[in-house]
Amino acid sequence: MVQINRVEQYMRGLAIALCTTACSLNPNTEPIRQIEIQQNWVIQPGDRIGGHIVMAGLGDISIRLGGQAYAPFAGRVQPNSSECVLFSSPDVPAYLFRLCGLGSLNLGEVQAGEAIGSGDFLAFATLRKQPDGTWTIVEPAKDILERILKPP
Amino acid sequence: MSDLEGDLPILKLLLLGGLFLMGFALMADVRRVGSLVSNSLSVSPPPEICQGDIHADVVLSREKLAAFLTISERDLKSRVQEILQQPYCQLPGIEVRAGVISERAVYPLAFDPQTWLVVLYEGEEYAGYQFRFQAAE
Repeated sequence: MVQINRVEQYMRGLAIALCTTACSLNPNTEPIRQIEIQQNWVIQPGDRIGGHIVMAGLGDISIRLGGQAYAPFAGRVQPNSSECVLFSSPDVPAYLFRLCGLGSLNLGEVQAGEAIGSGDFLAFATLRKQPDGTWTIVEPAKDILERILKPP
Repeated sequence: MSDLEGDLPILKLLLLGGLFLMGFALMADVRRVGSLVSNSLSVSPPPEICQGDIHADVVLSREKLAAFLTISERDLKSRVQEILQQPYCQLPGIEVRAGVISERAVYPLAFDPQTWLVVLYEGEEYAGYQFRFQAAE
Protein backbone atom coordinates (compact mmCIF):
# COMPACT_ATOMS: atom_id res chain seq x y z
CA MET A 1 0.00 0.00 0.00
CA VAL A 2 2.86 2.36 0.92
CA GLN A 3 4.60 1.43 -2.32
CA ILE A 4 1.46 2.18 -4.33
CA ASN A 5 1.17 5.63 -2.70
CA ARG A 6 4.78 6.36 -3.59
CA VAL A 7 4.20 5.30 -7.19
CA GLU A 8 1.10 7.49 -7.31
CA GLN A 9 3.04 10.46 -5.95
CA TYR A 10 5.80 9.82 -8.48
CA MET A 11 3.30 9.67 -11.32
CA ARG A 12 1.65 12.90 -10.19
CA GLY A 13 5.05 14.58 -10.08
CA LEU A 14 5.85 13.26 -13.53
CA ALA A 15 2.52 14.51 -14.89
CA ILE A 16 3.14 18.01 -13.44
CA ALA A 17 6.69 18.04 -14.83
CA LEU A 18 5.48 17.00 -18.28
CA CYS A 19 2.72 19.58 -18.19
CA THR A 20 5.21 22.28 -17.20
CA THR A 21 7.55 21.20 -20.01
CA ALA A 22 4.78 21.10 -22.59
CA CYS A 23 3.47 24.53 -21.57
CA SER A 24 6.91 26.11 -21.59
CA LEU A 25 7.80 24.99 -25.11
CA ASN A 26 7.96 27.73 -27.73
CA PRO A 27 7.25 30.42 -25.13
CA ASN A 28 5.72 33.63 -26.38
CA THR A 29 7.69 36.29 -24.56
CA GLU A 30 7.13 39.01 -27.13
CA PRO A 31 5.06 41.75 -25.47
CA ILE A 32 1.86 43.06 -27.03
CA ARG A 33 2.42 46.32 -28.90
CA GLN A 34 -0.57 48.59 -28.89
CA ILE A 35 -0.68 51.64 -31.11
CA GLU A 36 -3.06 54.54 -31.56
CA ILE A 37 -4.36 54.84 -35.11
CA GLN A 38 -5.64 58.24 -36.24
CA GLN A 39 -8.49 56.94 -38.39
CA ASN A 40 -10.34 55.15 -35.67
CA TRP A 41 -13.37 52.99 -36.32
CA VAL A 42 -15.29 51.43 -33.46
CA ILE A 43 -15.03 47.95 -34.99
CA GLN A 44 -11.44 46.72 -34.95
CA PRO A 45 -9.76 43.51 -36.15
CA GLY A 46 -9.92 40.98 -33.30
CA ASP A 47 -13.31 42.23 -32.03
CA ARG A 48 -16.17 39.78 -31.76
CA ILE A 49 -19.55 40.50 -33.31
CA GLY A 50 -22.39 38.02 -32.86
CA GLY A 51 -19.82 35.46 -31.73
CA HIS A 52 -17.70 35.94 -34.86
CA ILE A 53 -14.20 37.41 -34.94
CA VAL A 54 -13.59 40.50 -37.06
CA MET A 55 -10.58 39.66 -39.26
CA ALA A 56 -9.94 43.01 -40.97
CA GLY A 57 -10.93 46.64 -40.65
CA LEU A 58 -10.40 50.08 -42.09
CA GLY A 59 -7.45 50.29 -44.46
CA ASP A 60 -6.79 46.55 -44.69
CA ILE A 61 -6.11 44.87 -48.02
CA SER A 62 -7.42 41.29 -47.97
CA ILE A 63 -5.38 38.71 -49.80
CA ARG A 64 -6.11 35.04 -50.42
CA LEU A 65 -2.80 33.84 -49.03
CA GLY A 66 -3.00 30.06 -48.79
CA GLY A 67 0.49 29.78 -47.30
CA GLN A 68 3.15 31.81 -45.59
CA ALA A 69 3.78 35.54 -45.31
CA TYR A 70 7.44 36.59 -45.24
CA ALA A 71 9.38 39.41 -43.58
CA PRO A 72 10.07 42.07 -46.23
CA PHE A 73 13.17 43.23 -44.30
CA ALA A 74 15.03 42.17 -41.18
CA GLY A 75 12.85 43.31 -38.31
CA ARG A 76 10.59 42.40 -35.44
CA VAL A 77 7.18 40.75 -35.23
CA GLN A 78 5.06 41.78 -32.24
CA PRO A 79 1.53 40.76 -31.31
CA ASN A 80 -0.99 43.59 -31.60
CA SER A 81 -4.35 41.91 -30.96
CA SER A 82 -5.75 38.39 -30.90
CA GLU A 83 -5.76 38.32 -34.73
CA CYS A 84 -3.00 40.75 -35.73
CA VAL A 85 0.76 41.27 -35.50
CA LEU A 86 2.86 44.35 -36.21
CA PHE A 87 6.06 44.15 -38.23
CA SER A 88 8.68 46.88 -37.83
CA SER A 89 12.14 47.22 -39.31
CA PRO A 90 15.09 49.55 -38.66
CA ASP A 91 15.49 49.61 -42.47
CA VAL A 92 12.08 51.26 -42.87
CA PRO A 93 11.83 54.07 -40.32
CA ALA A 94 8.48 55.75 -39.74
CA TYR A 95 6.42 52.77 -40.92
CA LEU A 96 4.69 49.76 -39.39
CA PHE A 97 3.00 46.91 -41.19
CA ARG A 98 -0.05 45.22 -39.67
CA LEU A 99 -0.76 41.62 -40.65
CA CYS A 100 -4.01 40.00 -39.49
CA GLY A 101 -5.36 36.48 -39.86
CA LEU A 102 -2.06 34.59 -39.63
CA GLY A 103 -1.34 31.52 -37.50
CA SER A 104 1.90 29.66 -36.66
CA LEU A 105 3.42 33.03 -35.85
CA ASN A 106 7.13 33.64 -35.72
CA LEU A 107 7.24 36.37 -33.08
CA GLY A 108 10.34 38.38 -32.20
CA GLU A 109 13.36 39.16 -34.35
CA VAL A 110 13.21 37.83 -37.92
CA GLN A 111 15.52 38.02 -40.90
CA ALA A 112 14.42 39.29 -44.31
CA GLY A 113 12.57 36.49 -46.10
CA GLU A 114 11.86 34.54 -42.92
CA ALA A 115 8.25 33.45 -42.40
CA ILE A 116 6.12 35.70 -40.20
CA GLY A 117 3.20 33.28 -40.14
CA SER A 118 0.79 31.44 -42.37
CA GLY A 119 -2.90 31.33 -43.13
CA ASP A 120 -5.61 31.12 -45.76
CA PHE A 121 -6.21 34.87 -45.79
CA LEU A 122 -4.07 37.88 -44.93
CA ALA A 123 -5.41 41.32 -44.05
CA PHE A 124 -2.58 43.80 -44.54
CA ALA A 125 -2.25 47.48 -43.63
CA THR A 126 0.62 50.00 -43.87
CA LEU A 127 0.87 52.56 -41.07
CA ARG A 128 2.88 55.78 -41.12
CA LYS A 129 4.08 57.52 -37.97
CA GLN A 130 2.74 60.98 -37.16
CA PRO A 131 4.55 63.76 -35.28
CA ASP A 132 2.22 63.27 -32.27
CA GLY A 133 3.19 59.60 -31.93
CA THR A 134 -0.02 58.22 -33.46
CA TRP A 135 -0.14 56.21 -36.69
CA THR A 136 -2.09 56.79 -39.85
CA ILE A 137 -3.17 54.18 -42.37
CA VAL A 138 -1.71 54.80 -45.83
CA GLU A 139 -2.06 53.10 -49.20
CA PRO A 140 0.48 50.27 -49.36
CA ALA A 141 2.88 49.96 -52.28
CA LYS A 142 2.88 46.80 -54.39
CA ASP A 143 6.62 46.37 -53.88
CA ILE A 144 6.31 45.76 -50.14
CA LEU A 145 3.33 43.45 -50.61
CA GLU A 146 5.26 41.39 -53.14
CA ARG A 147 8.14 41.00 -50.70
CA ILE A 148 5.68 39.79 -48.07
CA LEU A 149 3.87 37.36 -50.36
CA LYS A 150 6.67 35.85 -52.44
CA PRO A 151 9.02 33.25 -50.95
CA PRO A 152 12.64 34.47 -50.90
CA MET B 1 -5.13 -6.08 -2.40
CA SER B 2 -8.40 -4.17 -2.80
CA ASP B 3 -6.53 -0.87 -2.19
CA LEU B 4 -4.11 -1.77 -4.93
CA GLU B 5 -6.96 -2.52 -7.32
CA GLY B 6 -8.64 0.79 -6.39
CA ASP B 7 -5.47 2.78 -7.09
CA LEU B 8 -4.68 1.18 -10.45
CA PRO B 9 -7.23 3.11 -12.54
CA ILE B 10 -5.85 6.40 -11.12
CA LEU B 11 -2.33 5.28 -11.97
CA LYS B 12 -3.39 4.33 -15.47
CA LEU B 13 -5.13 7.66 -15.94
CA LEU B 14 -2.08 9.55 -14.72
CA LEU B 15 0.19 7.51 -16.95
CA LEU B 16 -2.09 8.12 -19.94
CA GLY B 17 -2.26 11.82 -19.18
CA GLY B 18 1.52 11.99 -18.86
CA LEU B 19 2.02 10.18 -22.15
CA PHE B 20 -0.50 12.42 -23.88
CA LEU B 21 1.24 15.55 -22.60
CA MET B 22 4.64 14.18 -23.57
CA GLY B 23 3.35 13.43 -27.07
CA PHE B 24 1.93 16.93 -27.35
CA ALA B 25 5.21 18.44 -26.15
CA LEU B 26 7.20 16.41 -28.68
CA MET B 27 4.84 17.37 -31.52
CA ALA B 28 5.11 21.05 -30.60
CA ASP B 29 8.88 20.75 -30.49
CA VAL B 30 9.05 18.91 -33.83
CA ARG B 31 6.91 21.61 -35.47
CA ARG B 32 9.29 24.26 -34.10
CA VAL B 33 12.35 22.33 -35.26
CA GLY B 34 10.72 21.78 -38.67
CA SER B 35 10.07 25.49 -39.10
CA LEU B 36 13.60 26.35 -37.99
CA VAL B 37 15.07 23.85 -40.45
CA SER B 38 12.93 25.09 -43.35
CA ASN B 39 13.87 28.69 -42.51
CA SER B 40 17.57 27.89 -42.31
CA LEU B 41 17.47 25.93 -45.58
CA SER B 42 15.74 28.72 -47.49
CA VAL B 43 17.99 31.29 -49.10
CA SER B 44 17.57 34.62 -47.34
CA PRO B 45 17.97 37.76 -49.42
CA PRO B 46 20.98 39.89 -48.42
CA PRO B 47 20.37 42.58 -45.81
CA GLU B 48 19.78 46.11 -46.99
CA ILE B 49 23.18 47.44 -48.05
CA CYS B 50 24.59 50.76 -49.14
CA GLN B 51 24.33 51.80 -52.76
CA GLY B 52 26.33 54.49 -54.51
CA ASP B 53 29.17 56.37 -52.85
CA ILE B 54 30.32 55.50 -49.36
CA HIS B 55 31.87 58.28 -47.29
CA ALA B 56 33.85 56.18 -44.87
CA ASP B 57 34.94 59.12 -42.73
CA VAL B 58 31.38 60.17 -41.85
CA VAL B 59 30.23 59.55 -38.28
CA LEU B 60 27.56 61.28 -36.24
CA SER B 61 28.60 63.04 -33.02
CA ARG B 62 26.51 63.08 -29.85
CA GLU B 63 25.89 66.80 -30.30
CA LYS B 64 24.56 66.40 -33.83
CA LEU B 65 22.43 63.43 -32.78
CA ALA B 66 20.94 65.44 -29.89
CA ALA B 67 20.13 68.33 -32.24
CA PHE B 68 18.61 65.95 -34.80
CA LEU B 69 16.34 64.34 -32.19
CA THR B 70 14.64 67.70 -31.54
CA ILE B 71 13.23 67.73 -35.09
CA SER B 72 9.78 66.20 -35.43
CA GLU B 73 8.48 64.04 -38.25
CA ARG B 74 7.04 65.91 -41.26
CA ASP B 75 9.59 68.70 -40.94
CA LEU B 76 11.63 69.77 -43.96
CA LYS B 77 14.29 67.42 -45.30
CA SER B 78 16.62 70.40 -45.72
CA ARG B 79 16.35 71.22 -41.99
CA VAL B 80 17.45 67.67 -41.07
CA GLN B 81 20.24 67.67 -43.65
CA GLU B 82 21.49 70.99 -42.29
CA ILE B 83 22.22 69.24 -39.00
CA LEU B 84 23.26 65.79 -40.19
CA GLN B 85 25.02 66.91 -43.38
CA GLN B 86 26.49 64.34 -45.77
CA PRO B 87 25.50 60.72 -44.95
CA TYR B 88 27.83 57.74 -44.75
CA CYS B 89 25.78 56.17 -47.56
CA GLN B 90 22.28 55.76 -48.97
CA LEU B 91 20.23 52.58 -48.82
CA PRO B 92 18.35 51.69 -52.02
CA GLY B 93 15.23 53.76 -52.63
CA ILE B 94 11.99 51.97 -51.76
CA GLU B 95 8.30 52.52 -52.29
CA VAL B 96 6.56 51.84 -48.98
CA ARG B 97 3.34 53.69 -49.69
CA ALA B 98 1.88 53.80 -53.16
CA GLY B 99 3.35 56.41 -55.48
CA VAL B 100 5.99 57.74 -53.06
CA ILE B 101 9.67 56.82 -53.31
CA SER B 102 11.50 56.89 -49.98
CA GLU B 103 15.15 57.84 -49.61
CA ARG B 104 17.14 56.39 -46.74
CA ALA B 105 20.34 58.00 -45.45
CA VAL B 106 22.71 56.20 -43.08
CA TYR B 107 24.89 57.72 -40.33
CA PRO B 108 27.10 55.52 -38.09
CA LEU B 109 27.29 56.87 -34.54
CA ALA B 110 30.73 58.23 -33.58
CA PHE B 111 30.48 56.76 -30.08
CA ASP B 112 29.12 53.38 -31.30
CA PRO B 113 30.00 52.79 -34.98
CA GLN B 114 28.15 49.44 -35.01
CA THR B 115 24.92 51.40 -34.60
CA TRP B 116 23.55 53.19 -37.65
CA LEU B 117 21.03 55.98 -37.63
CA VAL B 118 18.74 55.39 -40.61
CA VAL B 119 16.78 58.47 -41.69
CA LEU B 120 13.88 58.22 -44.12
CA TYR B 121 12.77 61.05 -46.39
CA GLU B 122 9.80 61.26 -48.73
CA GLY B 123 10.23 64.01 -51.28
CA GLU B 124 11.19 67.17 -49.38
CA GLU B 125 9.78 65.81 -46.15
CA TYR B 126 11.54 64.10 -43.24
CA ALA B 127 9.46 61.03 -42.31
CA GLY B 128 11.31 59.44 -39.39
CA TYR B 129 14.33 57.52 -38.12
CA GLN B 130 15.37 54.20 -36.60
CA PHE B 131 18.57 52.82 -35.13
CA ARG B 132 19.97 49.76 -36.87
CA PHE B 133 22.40 47.55 -34.94
CA GLN B 134 25.01 46.04 -37.21
CA ALA B 135 26.19 42.50 -36.51
CA ALA B 136 29.89 42.48 -35.62
CA GLU B 137 31.95 41.00 -38.48
